[in-house]
Amino acid sequence: MFQIVRKQEMAKGTIVRFDISAPKIAAKVKAGQFVILRINETGERIPLTVADKDEFAGIITIIFQVVGKTTALMRSLKEGDIIKDVVGPLGKPANINKMGTVLMVGGGTGVAILHHIAKAFKEAGNFVIGIIGAKDKELMILENEMNAVCDELIITTDDGSYGERGFVTQPLKKYLEERYDIKIVYAIGPIIMMKNVCILTKKFNIPTMVSLNPIMIDGTGMCGGCRVKVGDKTQFCCVDGPDFDGHLVNFDELEKRNNLYLKDEKLSLLFSIR
Amino acid sequence: MLDLDIKYLKFKTYLNTYCPYCHQSFNVETKDKKQLVLKAVFKGQETDLILSPYLDVFEVESSIPIETNEVLDDILCPECHKSLISKEICCGECGSPVGHVIISALSRLIPFFICLKKGCEWHGLTKSDERKIKLKIPRQEMPEQDKTLRIHNHQEVPYGYTSELASLEAGRCLQCKAPKCVEGCPVDIDIPAFIKLMRENDFDGAAKKIKERNVLPAVCGRVCPQESQCEAKCILGIKDMPVAIGRLERFVADFERKMDLVKIPVIKNKTNKRIAVVGSGPGGLTVAADMALLGYSVTVFEALHELGGVLTYGIPEFRLPKSIVQFEINYLKELGVRFELNHVIGNILTVDELREHFDAVYIGVGAGLPVFMGVEGESLGNVFSSNEYLTRMNLMKAYRFPEYDTPMPKGNKVVIVGGGNVAMDCARTAIRTGSTEVTIVYRRSRHELPARLEEVHHAEEEGIKFKLLTSPVRYIGTDYNSLKAVECIKMELVEPDSSGRRRPVPIKDSNFIIECDSAIIAIGTGPNPIIFSTSPDLKRNKWGYIDANEKTMETSIPKVYAGGDIVTGSATVILAMGAGRAAANTMHKQLSKK
Amino acid sequence: MKEFGSVNDILEFAICQEQEAVEFYSDLASKMKIEAMRIVFNQFAQEEMGHKAKLLDIKEKGIYEVSSEIISDLKISDYLVKTPAANDMTYQEALVLAMNKEKSSFKLYLNLSERAPNAELKSLFLMLAQEESKHKLRFEIEYDDMVLKEN
Repeated sequence: MFQIVRKQEMAKGTIVRFDISAPKIAAKVKAGQFVILRINETGERIPLTVADKDEFAGIITIIFQVVGKTTALMRSLKEGDIIKDVVGPLGKPANINKMGTVLMVGGGTGVAILHHIAKAFKEAGNFVIGIIGAKDKELMILENEMNAVCDELIITTDDGSYGERGFVTQPLKKYLEERYDIKIVYAIGPIIMMKNVCILTKKFNIPTMVSLNPIMIDGTGMCGGCRVKVGDKTQFCCVDGPDFDGHLVNFDELEKRNNLYLKDEKLSLLFSIR
Repeated sequence: MLDLDIKYLKFKTYLNTYCPYCHQSFNVETKDKKQLVLKAVFKGQETDLILSPYLDVFEVESSIPIETNEVLDDILCPECHKSLISKEICCGECGSPVGHVIISALSRLIPFFICLKKGCEWHGLTKSDERKIKLKIPRQEMPEQDKTLRIHNHQEVPYGYTSELASLEAGRCLQCKAPKCVEGCPVDIDIPAFIKLMRENDFDGAAKKIKERNVLPAVCGRVCPQESQCEAKCILGIKDMPVAIGRLERFVADFERKMDLVKIPVIKNKTNKRIAVVGSGPGGLTVAADMALLGYSVTVFEALHELGGVLTYGIPEFRLPKSIVQFEINYLKELGVRFELNHVIGNILTVDELREHFDAVYIGVGAGLPVFMGVEGESLGNVFSSNEYLTRMNLMKAYRFPEYDTPMPKGNKVVIVGGGNVAMDCARTAIRTGSTEVTIVYRRSRHELPARLEEVHHAEEEGIKFKLLTSPVRYIGTDYNSLKAVECIKMELVEPDSSGRRRPVPIKDSNFIIECDSAIIAIGTGPNPIIFSTSPDLKRNKWGYIDANEKTMETSIPKVYAGGDIVTGSATVILAMGAGRAAANTMHKQLSKK
Repeated sequence: MKEFGSVNDILEFAICQEQEAVEFYSDLASKMKIEAMRIVFNQFAQEEMGHKAKLLDIKEKGIYEVSSEIISDLKISDYLVKTPAANDMTYQEALVLAMNKEKSSFKLYLNLSERAPNAELKSLFLMLAQEESKHKLRFEIEYDDMVLKEN
């Protein structure tokens, strides 16, 4: 039994935050790990990275963007409702230690995951620089939370309605050019954003980690649906990831694999409306 | 038995019954049975006495009613009216005088005695004679769904025996003194005993007999490879077809379930010792049941949201209905076994934590990691592992998409790589979900196909094509990264070393293309790394499986036991259950020592 | 490519090759995470050591035989995508690696035999090539038995 204890809608209701009561998971989950949810008997299993946790209250936080049937259904849930299954923590935790200066780049809902990792880096005693981006001002999420864990925070929006106008790669480039002490870059967001960040950091030869979110079923290494090429090796995102060396990830292939069920997802939505 | 002079009878006729005096045959041959017609004298009246060989007794019919245990006055040859009574011989059971005829079976003449007391009609044959006569009841086939019908639904293919067919089949068992079939059973079911109960029409008792050794009879009756286990050892199998033990097991289990005869045994001597079982597959369930019956308190941890392991996510509905799996698991729940879903051991709890809280831990997580061949193009969209395909279909019920939310991987032309049961399951699922052309590609020849013969047969009936001696070398994609075709190469079998096993070798320049829009790779599975990530001390062999003692199932960590696929690599349901049984035995021995 | 003048040169070269293989596998063994895999690579190294000893023996005695036995090639590794050596290799990957290594040695000797200046050296190279293909077959058979069980 997993109860939603708090629900918050963000970014015009396109992004929703759930605090779910899951004491056992909350006690174990580390930054970068994810859970798999199934809301009801006929539901699909969807992976969602844990955005925060409160191990004393036994609560995990997930933040998701409404994109398909399941997430739309999730938005319709209220505080006090029950989610049928929550499995976790899954995946390997992010490798957090004291390194010096770390640069956190997040886009869209990716900021939710980024925040948890940024928080962990801050707690480990690093100097944390954050760059977060969104389409426009209203879609920007977790700005205050990021502000609390970052020593410096840059905000960008595609249309310039808030912060700097443009993509996250612009301030990133500036930072990479100006600062020589950046030990690692963490990039989490849409595939295209992560790809571009990695192209950039590769030029400057800064190690870059990305968090991937491919199609997944069981999340325990059983189905192989989440396989992704990292360097020459095929890795399973659910057990070998979700964080990988961004310079080795084959983003193009990942994107194509993720689009495999676009048609079915539409059909599923239509079915639920009918 | 008496040595009778039978030299004047012909040796050719088969299962014929003769009068020892006038040599006339008593048989009345109807289309499907041979009857023996004699004249009987009962209370001074003469009547026709018709005996129909039915299983191992003769069913008696007569024109005047004869009560059980009433003694006939005489039995006469219907032709020459001579009395058939042999004064010098008595019925071995009740001591009544017997009528004496001669039957001919398998070119041998066998004296046969009919007791005059109705109720013990079948006496006089030696065991070996009896055996020869039984051979003539053919192995009973299970009625099944028509092939044109079943490819449009997901219902089970065989309907199972009716009670008549089951009795007939049970009658074929020779009830060997030293039964070989039991040796072939990894969980030592007392096979002759349960069949004996079936012959006494005590199907419920038979089910209980099986349950003493096997908690999942309805599952095993369906998916065990009996032809290479118990049935392979059956003596009848040497000259004829073996007794269909699996089908009988299935029948009694279904009978018990449908008739609502399941009883929960009372567990005496409860202890406060606690057992943790990791994985709710067949092995884990066996450990759980065995330990629960011994009075331990058992908790089973399952990573997925449904119980049953491979029985639930792997084997399709049409081969093993999920309601049956759930029913058998409910039996365990009623035994007091606790189940914890959504617990990925290694993450939410480590093996070490389990050891702190429990007195023993059994790891039966199976071999769940899909193996890919490592050829070009395997990461294309629409190239699936068999695990993904079957998990979507069975666990997530994608075949009922969009009623269920998980999309169904569908292709018009599907290629399945591999020749095991898993490959057959994938192929048969594909044909049921509307694929028009399903092709199985296998590197070796038909003779080496590792799938059960029954499965291959069913698959062929359902129109699945087999491309044998063929191996994929490359998956070809479209610009959009979805699969377009598979390039294959023809193989031939050679004998490269002295082992005598023939191995496939590619034939040069024999490449060809199979067009398809979906491919499923079903070439086996490997060990899942999750549990090891937090238990580096758990010793593993070079294949990555847990190094466990073969007999006691102990691992390198005290109080931790392991068995099933995670020790042996992918094998069968029943072998996992055998390992679970062995582990439960060691656990109990060691825990009761203290 | 190196030129070989005498039988001894060739044997010297082949012995070096085997020694390199020994070192390669021992090195991999020391890097493995799982103990069982360490043992596997140490075994591979041991096997190479055996091959080396065999060559040393030939060098000492100066006698070798080219058998006409045809060693079959199961060609398992031919169609597989090459994966790099890593410390978390599975046994399956280790077998593929070993197969490829033996295959490349085989090809090397075969090439050399084609370019050999005289019949004596040619036959020696052929013998070495045959040895390598025997080694490869051993890995292929294990792969065929275990990995491709259902295929």
